[in-house]
Amino acid sequence: MNSDAPSSFASALSPATDPEPSTAPALLAEIDQSCRAPVLALFGCGLVWLLAGTVLAELASLKMHWPDFLADTDWLTFGRVRPAHLNAMVFGFASECAIGIALWLMCRLCRTPLRFAWIILIAGVFWNLGVLVGIGGILAGDSTGIEWLEIPAYASPILFFSYALVGVWAVITFRFRREPRLYVSQWYILAALLWFPWLYSAAQILLILQPVRGTVQAAVNWWFAHNVLGLWFTPIGLAAIYYFIPKVIGRPIHSYYLSMLGFWSLALFYNWNGMHHLVGGPMPAWLVTVSIVASVMMTIPVVTVAINHHLTMVGHFHKMKFSPTLRFIVFGGMSYTVASLQGVYSALRSVSEVTHFTHHTIAHAHVGMYAFFTMVVFGCIYYIAPRLTQREWPSASLIHVHFWGTAGGILLYVGLLSFGGVLQGLAMNNPNIPFLQIVALTRPYLIIRTVAGIIIGTGHLAFVINFAWLLARQFEPYRGPVPLILAGTQPVK
Amino acid sequence: MNYGPLLFFGIFLTLASSWCGLVLIPQLQFGRLEPVTVEATQQLYPPNRSGLAERGMAVYRANGCLYCHSQQVRPEGFGADIQRGWGKRRSVARDYLRDIPVMLGTMRTGPDLTNIGVRQASAPWQLLHLYNPQITSKGSIMPPFRFLFEKHRIRGRPSPEALLLTGAFAPEPGYEVVPKPDAEALVEYLLSLKAITPLPETK
Amino acid sequence: MIVWLLFIGSLIVLPGSALLALRWAARTGQLEAFQKGALQIFDEEEPVGQMTDHFPGPDRLRRPKPATTGHGSRGDEKELPS
Repeated sequence: MNSDAPSSFASALSPATDPEPSTAPALLAEIDQSCRAPVLALFGCGLVWLLAGTVLAELASLKMHWPDFLADTDWLTFGRVRPAHLNAMVFGFASECAIGIALWLMCRLCRTPLRFAWIILIAGVFWNLGVLVGIGGILAGDSTGIEWLEIPAYASPILFFSYALVGVWAVITFRFRREPRLYVSQWYILAALLWFPWLYSAAQILLILQPVRGTVQAAVNWWFAHNVLGLWFTPIGLAAIYYFIPKVIGRPIHSYYLSMLGFWSLALFYNWNGMHHLVGGPMPAWLVTVSIVASVMMTIPVVTVAINHHLTMVGHFHKMKFSPTLRFIVFGGMSYTVASLQGVYSALRSVSEVTHFTHHTIAHAHVGMYAFFTMVVFGCIYYIAPRLTQREWPSASLIHVHFWGTAGGILLYVGLLSFGGVLQGLAMNNPNIPFLQIVALTRPYLIIRTVAGIIIGTGHLAFVINFAWLLARQFEPYRGPVPLILAGTQPVK
Repeated sequence: MNYGPLLFFGIFLTLASSWCGLVLIPQLQFGRLEPVTVEATQQLYPPNRSGLAERGMAVYRANGCLYCHSQQVRPEGFGADIQRGWGKRRSVARDYLRDIPVMLGTMRTGPDLTNIGVRQASAPWQLLHLYNPQITSKGSIMPPFRFLFEKHRIRGRPSPEALLLTGAFAPEPGYEVVPKPDAEALVEYLLSLKAITPLPETK
Repeated sequence: MIVWLLFIGSLIVLPGSALLALRWAARTGQLEAFQKGALQIFDEEEPVGQMTDHFPGPDRLRRPKPATTGHGSRGDEKELPS
């Protein structure tokens, strides 16, 4: 074996021909160092989208009770700002951070350094480009009109190309793993990485490229949209929780059998839920019923996961006082349970009759995407970023502002808007109440949402400032005490 | 659970199952519906939209109207859609055969629009409402769509399309507000929204 | 007709293959000592019993008190300068 030969990409594709094969599991520090550029880049760009999405969110929320606000330009009309917000958050912030977290977890769990970082960096550039062009297109009026798939057809191939790069990278890394065992988080991540491109390409083909006829579109739309939450974000969020709770508190998951049960029951039931968005709609009854049944069956994986996480944490809840990551992750984990149980009861016909078409649905969406997934993402970044930069978070106060702002803000938002939505639905089912009266009754809840948005936005600002400061610290030699997190690893200047 | 191929197999099969059940089977069951000829009128239902109305549908889509307005009437006894006068019968799959995309909507921040062409069949009303919803519906939270209209100095005689605005909503003297082509198209689309034709499957 | 075929077919194939997979897993010993899988994320660098996160800064309040039960020998009880 010629050790002077440059390690070429092609020869590195197989362990047999790779000029630098290694089977010894890598040191944690080595893994973290290899992840630094791509994962920090993904987090950084994701946080820029978080800020953009937060501004768009506040705009949309304001316009709902102050319709005249900035209403004279077409690109700022509510009907464009709202999908721009959704796509900025889903594809800009959440997906980029999800990929960053998935990459780091894969490397850690495969015990292999991140190789071919350039693939990820190129993928990141294209992903950002795709989202930017997509959001611009939505604001310009080119939305496809399909919920969760609004990004115009000229931008989605960019996203697809970027994702293909990530997929190729994931397969190579998996092939080169130095740890033969697969931890539960890896099951979830592999599943998410396989499910997402299938969902996205099927939706693109059946709804935009070769649209199916009539209401079959609705079936495809909600199979896709619900599964983005259930088969892309949920598995990555759960993968993170399954890793970080035991890792932070220093205690293994309570029952590995329960984690296997939880994974397979989620895989089996979650993807059948989509039609619960169409209860009462022009769809065959069997189709909707199947989804309602699957939604109720979701209690199995959800309760399984909740029990497992809870029994792992029992006796260790006090540690949340001492760990930013644990606070956000546990908050997220509990919100997962709440979001899912809310989803179960909302799918029942008798409840859907009241809550469908109301703000209750929006509140529920934010319990899932924000209180669960976004808070988990924050927890992950708090753990991962110091290890990649080899620096401590600059400010504990900013962490407190971030946590209490986002946790308090989201609880205010979802609590009150869920309640307001139920009132709205009950009134809507009473034909004696004129529609404008219903609008008036929802107004206070919409205003409270705007207030909650300001509180949440403050939390975001605190976090982004802290993150930028942390990144800046890499350019100075480290003068502080050796942080606990680096004890036992090789600090790199 | 350390065996990659087994994991991959399970991951594939589980999503394949719902792809079959929620996408493939519906496509086979009602993906080839055709318009029907209504006995009484010998007209096709759903009717072809005019070119202007198709353009209006694009305006509806571009401006995200579906995020506040649904287009589906729920059955009698489930909610109060029919009692509110939002339709004479429930919506069925055939109603949406000519829609690309199908914009069923998931929010009723504003009323359902399946039959708005029946409920508010007047183009002047629709134009006034679009220009500033407060004119026809005080207290509405629908945004004004002034950018779909043009305010200009009256040249000679007022144009026939000028909106009849009064009071605080009227422009300064000597000015008039006329709808742009997109506004006219959108109104044409809204006026085309009618789904009251009784069909074999709605009896 | 084809709808029914597909439906019944999948009703047999999906649970059937799941049971076959479970049988294979049990037979090849995948499910023995299963709980050990939970220990995979710990090693000599970050062993069981060691908390691996904390708030930044030397603030005394931000470290847990030393464990008195002997559980967790390192890390949990970093002595702070007074």
